[in-house]
Amino acid sequence: MTKVIVIGGGWAGCSAAITAKKAGGDVTIIEKTDMLLGLGNVGGIMRNNGRYTAAEESIGLGAKELFNICDKNSRHKNVDFPGHKHASLYDVNKIEPLVKKLLKDMDIKILICKRVIDIIKTKNKIAKVILSDESELEGDVFIETTGSTGPMGNCLKYGNGCAMCILRCPSFGPRVSITERCGIEDILGQRNNGSYGAFSGSCKLNKETLSCNLKKRLNEEGVVILNVPKEDVNLEKLDLKVCQQYSLREFAEKIILLDTGHAKLMTPFYPLDKLRKIKGLEKVKFEDPYSGGIGNSIRYLSIAPRYNNMKVKDIDNLLCGGEKSGFFVGHTEAIVTGSLAGHNSIRLSLGMPLLELPRNLASGDIIAYANEEIKTKEGLKKRFTFAGSIYFDRMKKIGLYSTNKEEIKNNLLRLGLLNIYEDKIV
Amino acid sequence: MNKRLECIDAGSEYCPCYLAETGDCITCSILRGKDFCDCNWRGSCIYSEFVWNNHTKKDGRKIYSSKIVEKKLLSNEVYLLKIETTKTLARQLKQIGSYIFIRGKDMPHFFDVPMSVMESNEKEGYIYILYKTLGSKTKNLNLSDKILIRGPYWNGIYGLKNIKKLQNNNCLLIARGVAQSPTLLLINKIIKNNSVTLILDKGKLEDNLILEYLKEKDIEIFFLDTMKYEGKEKIKEILINKNIDFVFSAGSDVLHKNIIEIIDKINSNIKIAATNNSEMCCGEGVCGSCSTHLDEYGSVKGCKTQIDIRKLIKRRVNID
Repeated sequence: MTKVIVIGGGWAGCSAAITAKKAGGDVTIIEKTDMLLGLGNVGGIMRNNGRYTAAEESIGLGAKELFNICDKNSRHKNVDFPGHKHASLYDVNKIEPLVKKLLKDMDIKILICKRVIDIIKTKNKIAKVILSDESELEGDVFIETTGSTGPMGNCLKYGNGCAMCILRCPSFGPRVSITERCGIEDILGQRNNGSYGAFSGSCKLNKETLSCNLKKRLNEEGVVILNVPKEDVNLEKLDLKVCQQYSLREFAEKIILLDTGHAKLMTPFYPLDKLRKIKGLEKVKFEDPYSGGIGNSIRYLSIAPRYNNMKVKDIDNLLCGGEKSGFFVGHTEAIVTGSLAGHNSIRLSLGMPLLELPRNLASGDIIAYANEEIKTKEGLKKRFTFAGSIYFDRMKKIGLYSTNKEEIKNNLLRLGLLNIYEDKIV
Repeated sequence: MNKRLECIDAGSEYCPCYLAETGDCITCSILRGKDFCDCNWRGSCIYSEFVWNNHTKKDGRKIYSSKIVEKKLLSNEVYLLKIETTKTLARQLKQIGSYIFIRGKDMPHFFDVPMSVMESNEKEGYIYILYKTLGSKTKNLNLSDKILIRGPYWNGIYGLKNIKKLQNNNCLLIARGVAQSPTLLLINKIIKNNSVTLILDKGKLEDNLILEYLKEKDIEIFFLDTMKYEGKEKIKEILINKNIDFVFSAGSDVLHKNIIEIIDKINSNIKIAATNNSEMCCGEGVCGSCSTHLDEYGSVKGCKTQIDIRKLIKRRVNID
């Protein structure tokens, strides 16, 4: 049986593990913290704008499990907020144990609090990974889903320092780029001013610290929009954000809160004292990052050069997914890329041709489009998400956006890809 | 691809040090002028500490003028000094591998000589050191009742991570000559949770100097000449019969080499730690006297860097 090692247990890693398992692999996930899902523990937004199409595509391809969990545990469905339609907001306080249970039930091995620090290579193949406790783990195929965020020194050099985010580097140790350990140079994202990386976009407020009225509204409606005092509107900040789909004027002039179990604040590092000037937020506290008023994590510092089938260039048995595989934003994007990497890991081990999603699927197009753009100078400043900004515009323009489940399913059927991830290959 | 090194001072109150200011930090890639993080994580971010400290190093080690409370001539040119210290310094010198630089009261700084701490009492504030007069530095050490101490330093032993993990292990400690001195701190540290066998070799001394400190300790002691064939055979026998899984070699690099050869013939999985015999002058990774060139890493500063003793010995003994 093909032994697949997935490095990094975020949304991308979990989805890769699932499709690799379904295709017949013996799968192990190595996660450095004590929880799976990484930033998924503080995210929550699904199905907004083109993510709806992508979610349905993945479900049709056969990677339905994680979307089903998100749908089932949505606190709100079909929510609109400025620039965004039909969003689902999953409950970040419930999701992780459910995903962990799903993976365990599927007989996927999960190593938590284990951090990969290095690799042992023979020629162009990874033979083993070395963990921080000096133990070694052999595998046939490896999938890197370590993301591109942090660690502390990077967040300081390119940001405002460690803001104590969910990744908790000081406690669990830094992210290590596996591709870099293989001797492959990382690709780095840039901001408009040319500096490296980008701030993670949103943060969470503790819902219990909102006024009773605000809390009630948020629980009932899923979205609350408040006005920012004129003197505190800061349009420049939008430029810093990763999530270009939320870099809209409304997001600077308004406070937009979404109910994901916490109160997701769609503005990056809003100073606490200013936040508390707003009615209903007089006693508010940050939930994630703990120092959310100061800064946030820095991302896009470690992207792997890859093919559109998610295989990393120049390493024979390494694939990648999630943020590691391009300037992608969001859980849906992580699941889409991770699922393909997981499925292809088994094909790769058998010497079969790897699956490449066609460009008349949004999922295939974003993977290929991001790969084209990353090779251009301007492309290093772009971010790709089904949810907005340039990629959602593209989806609409070339007719890839649809909220018609039947249509999406028929399209997959026509392409001969329906349930392809369900096939056991070995 | 960078090979990551481990600095003994990383995360301590003396980190970041001069090397951060000069762009030569042993641990932090950013403080070596690289663009991104790539460190051997020790639980704190050195770059972050450096920035929070206004891009300067932390205060360095102090030089203390200390009183020699007791001076004993143990045998031919071998002295035991009991030196008064602050309680803080004594506490800092309790960890295994601790050493200090000392010099005679009126001597210039280049007479500083590194000395392993044999025993440290933090309650009363004193330490013991043991040395044999050999060269110009040691001959000038105890001419008056005052002595200058600079410390604490900690990299006196290589393989500390193997020592930190010891629990219910079968340990063999081999101590020769004055290197018996740093062995005492180690014994005190590991004896509670491990089975300890000790081989004492007088070396060029007249007596086994730490013997009297080992009374009432649950240790089996063998007296051997570890350089002779019979001694080596006995070591082999002990390694096998006692199912040894950790060995500490305290002595010269030649002793280290011999011991490693014996171990590797029997079971190369046995963990090793050994005394650091680098010639040190500053202890801060600056002067270069302790540098060794290792294939994978380039020039490595022995005074601060934890090095795999196997790699080091291969290099050093071949050159000798």
